[in-house]
Amino acid sequence: MTTTTATAIGPGQAPIGTVAARALGVSKVYGRGDATVRALDDVSASLYAGQFTAIMGPSGSGKSTLLHVLAGLDRPTSGSVHVGDVDLTSLNDRQLTMLRRDEIGFIFQSFNLLPTLTAAENIELPIRIAGRKPDALWIRSIVELVGLGDRLRHRPAELSGGQQQRVAAARALASKPQIVFADEPTGALDSRSGADLLGFLQRAVRTGGQTVVMVTHDPVAASYADRVLFLADGHIVDEMSDPTADTVFDYMKHLGG
Amino acid sequence: MFTATLRGMLAHKLRVILTTISIALGVAFVAGTLILTDTTQSAFDQLFGRASSGTDAVVRHEVAYAATAGVGLTRAPTPAGTLDKVRHVHGVAAAEGIVTGYALITDTEGKAVIASGGAPAVGYTMPDDVTLRGSVHLLTGHAPTGAHEVAIDATSAASHHIPLGANIRLLFRGPAAKFTVVGTVGFGNEKDFGGTTSAYFAPATAQRVLGAPGLVDQIEVRSDGTITDAVLAERIGKVLPHGLEAVTGATLAKESSQAIKNQFAFLSVLFLTFAGVALFVGSFIIWNTFTMIVSQRTREIALTRAIGASRRQVIGNLLAEAGLLGVVASAVGVGLGVLVAKGLNNLMAVLGFFKLPSASTQVQPRTIWVSMIVGTLVTVVAALVPARRATKVLPIQALREATPGAKAPSRFRAVAGALLVSGGVAGILDGLYGGGGDAPVFLGMLASVVGVLTLAPVVVRPLASVIGAPLRLRGVAGDLARQNALRNPRRTASTASALMIGLTLVVAMGVFGSSLKASFATILHDSTNADLYVTAAGNQGGPFSPDVEQLVRSVPGVAVASATGAGEARFDGTSAAYSSVDPSTVQRALNLKVTSGSAAALGTDGVMVKGAVAKEKGWHVGDRVPVEFAATGSHSFTIRAVYDGTGFLDGDFAISLAAEEANVPNRLETSVLVMLDDGADQGTVKSAIAATLATHPDAEVLDRKEYAKAVGGIIDSLLALVTVMLLLSVVIALLGIVNTLALSVHERTREVGLLRAVGMTTAQVRSMVRWESVVISLIGALVGAGLGLGLGAALAQVLKGQGITEVAVPGVNIGIYVVAAAVAGVVAAVGPGRAAARVDVLKAVVTD
Repeated sequence: MTTTTATAIGPGQAPIGTVAARALGVSKVYGRGDATVRALDDVSASLYAGQFTAIMGPSGSGKSTLLHVLAGLDRPTSGSVHVGDVDLTSLNDRQLTMLRRDEIGFIFQSFNLLPTLTAAENIELPIRIAGRKPDALWIRSIVELVGLGDRLRHRPAELSGGQQQRVAAARALASKPQIVFADEPTGALDSRSGADLLGFLQRAVRTGGQTVVMVTHDPVAASYADRVLFLADGHIVDEMSDPTADTVFDYMKHLGG
Repeated sequence: MFTATLRGMLAHKLRVILTTISIALGVAFVAGTLILTDTTQSAFDQLFGRASSGTDAVVRHEVAYAATAGVGLTRAPTPAGTLDKVRHVHGVAAAEGIVTGYALITDTEGKAVIASGGAPAVGYTMPDDVTLRGSVHLLTGHAPTGAHEVAIDATSAASHHIPLGANIRLLFRGPAAKFTVVGTVGFGNEKDFGGTTSAYFAPATAQRVLGAPGLVDQIEVRSDGTITDAVLAERIGKVLPHGLEAVTGATLAKESSQAIKNQFAFLSVLFLTFAGVALFVGSFIIWNTFTMIVSQRTREIALTRAIGASRRQVIGNLLAEAGLLGVVASAVGVGLGVLVAKGLNNLMAVLGFFKLPSASTQVQPRTIWVSMIVGTLVTVVAALVPARRATKVLPIQALREATPGAKAPSRFRAVAGALLVSGGVAGILDGLYGGGGDAPVFLGMLASVVGVLTLAPVVVRPLASVIGAPLRLRGVAGDLARQNALRNPRRTASTASALMIGLTLVVAMGVFGSSLKASFATILHDSTNADLYVTAAGNQGGPFSPDVEQLVRSVPGVAVASATGAGEARFDGTSAAYSSVDPSTVQRALNLKVTSGSAAALGTDGVMVKGAVAKEKGWHVGDRVPVEFAATGSHSFTIRAVYDGTGFLDGDFAISLAAEEANVPNRLETSVLVMLDDGADQGTVKSAIAATLATHPDAEVLDRKEYAKAVGGIIDSLLALVTVMLLLSVVIALLGIVNTLALSVHERTREVGLLRAVGMTTAQVRSMVRWESVVISLIGALVGAGLGLGLGAALAQVLKGQGITEVAVPGVNIGIYVVAAAVAGVVAAVGPGRAAARVDVLKAVVTD
């Protein structure tokens, strides 16, 4: 935490320009001996608060691993990871769980929802796990934002894939996390539902001051971001600000993805 | 296909292990029962075989009919004079008159030596001929010779520290006497004779104290070895006067052994019943396991169907899996059966029922194949329905991303279940209050149980909602637990049903037992007017000498001392238990509710009949009824009274003590009802009687409260036995819960992963599994307790005519069972909860 600007946007958000999450010399090695795979090789990166960051790269580049390590779902083999000013590598499993619960929101590619709970219950799940009362006003504003008003009492099986992902997005935001991590959130959606979801995430960042980090391999998805980090072979090879689908697509061709 | 079966089983070790155990436990019970039965029989065969090994032929009085009453089968005595005739038969090397009778040993402090489990206290003649003694041999000292010498079994001597040379009293049917212990006796390798206490006397002494001078019970003969035993018996038979018979020693041993075995036969039936319950409960777990196997393998099955496997192959494959599981589990069960047999034997001893003579464990081939077939069959049959369901899997399902769905229970099930339950209840009510008799009650009970089992998947949802309601307080983990328990109502229902059956039986037995206990106090109050009761000491020993009655009567303050006895005879051709009573006092001491005639008129050839029997047979006072005694044969008795009083007296018939004296050699008495003089102090009289009975340690005096409590103690230990047996089913049911939970956790790996990702702690995950387990257990426990209450009460009501007067509910016990079930649910969840907490978040959530 070096610089601080005073403008706080939205409840619980870090001021713009602050580093929301940071990886420092992070390596992730799987296997041993000849079978060793370096998914991440000495990666350092800062993700800024109030920004929509996309992490891109061809498959096997380590982009998902980087996201998992940043989100506290996985531990790096070496290096350190900070979310806010908390060093994740110093936390035990329970502390890490609490951090995920209170400070981090998740959107996975699929299977984001518990089938027994209604949409509304799924949205409130992390808050209820924490044993807190949901902030009704805040929840309502998110639900309106994702456009799920009439679907709240439905169970996941009664929702379309796009609706399910919007419920997941609403859940990710419900607990007012410092940072939302999305792992290929549009990977299982048709382009229209995908665009809806991405638009929603973008609005959450632009108007709500939310911090979102998204892994994707789709240049169109990446074009919704403020900034794109390119990964190849476990290294960050480049980054791009204010991307468009075309510029990202061109760069990806150049990367060979 | 079969390789696929084997691989599939190995891939799910926990499931295979749990299912195996649940079958194996049931089979172990079957095998254990058979082993115990065989071991008992072999033990008694050996015991009696060895005991009479030196006896080649026996002369005894013929009996009118061979009662199954067992060891103490009463025969008329044989005149000792017959001995001379027998001794002169060609081929007889030695012949001796043997007397057997009641002989209670007391120790140096005057305390009675009472065998465990109500084994009898017996006195015998010690033959002079060593060979005729059979396996009976002196361990220390010498054989009794004088009129005041006795040899006692080594167990009695050791347990009561009776040294050689000790001067002890022995109690007989007649006057007690003092004897000097001159030896201790062993029986082959045993130190006692099948748990009985034994006293040996010289021949003349035995006649005097056990029977009557000049009379013996039987004559034991040793052959000179030149002829076979059968020929010997035949030759002797020819010289015998009418009424006596000669049989071989082997026949005698077989008869004695058989008589004992008959007494133990009910135990085999009892244990096999429990084994059946255990297997039934186990079958629910098998059913569950195979349902899960099928639903998990839907895609795999569909794939095999898509590549050309027929329906028959699919079902065959699953049944082969069930068969293999059954065979393996049954084999394990047979192995465990040896331990179960030992455990049951110890349990019997601990609860004070009986102690078996030691014998090598008998594992007969019959035990093995019966257990194997039963276990395998139960497994395959339980797997049949789920396997049939597998054939309905369509090939197209291989291509669908289908999560195994929980089908809602069908309407047919709801209707059928409701009909069964209501029909069952109607049957019970009709039988109890509508005069329908016992049959509709028992049918109704069965229908209710089947109905509840059928209905279980339907009612499990509302039940889980109610039971799980307090879980809201446990936050989201509790909420999810309740919902998870509701997710697959069939699975939850069958898991809970297994527990339900166990609890139903435990609670029903509890209610029945409590009612019996509560009733006995009422019975004593309603059916007797006695102030004090003289009964067998510690409720352990057998009956006592009629002398006791005389002694009690002589105590100052005693107005009436009315003795009762019990026995077995044939009334109108049917063997039945009877009570013997004192005609002059019985109507004062007992509320017999005599409806016609009078007990006072019984005389020596009168019989008093229960009203229900008289009605059924169309008997009236003055009618004549043939009564046949084993020892004295058939007599014509006259019905002198009809009575309705239930409770205190055994059986449906009563005769006078005098009639019993005339027809049953060496009869004994079981209780003396004491009424006090007006103004006599109960405590003082009780102490006086106790003091008088100091010489008769086989009898003790109790007031009404103490007597009811003593009887309650017997019921309690019986209940304890039944409960311990049924707990096995409960244990199997708990394994079923573990199994179900483990599978649920396995199925929901991704959900658990998601919950962990969004911040659920491992403690919360464990608590979620734990509460799901508790909900399932409580459903089983509460439904089981409710059903058990109903069935127990109905059972008690049915038996109202047989002496039960009130229905008592052991509320505290039932509460403990339910709480224990909940605790057991917590325990059952430990393993699956840990597994859930270990779920790898990344693997569960991330799609590759």
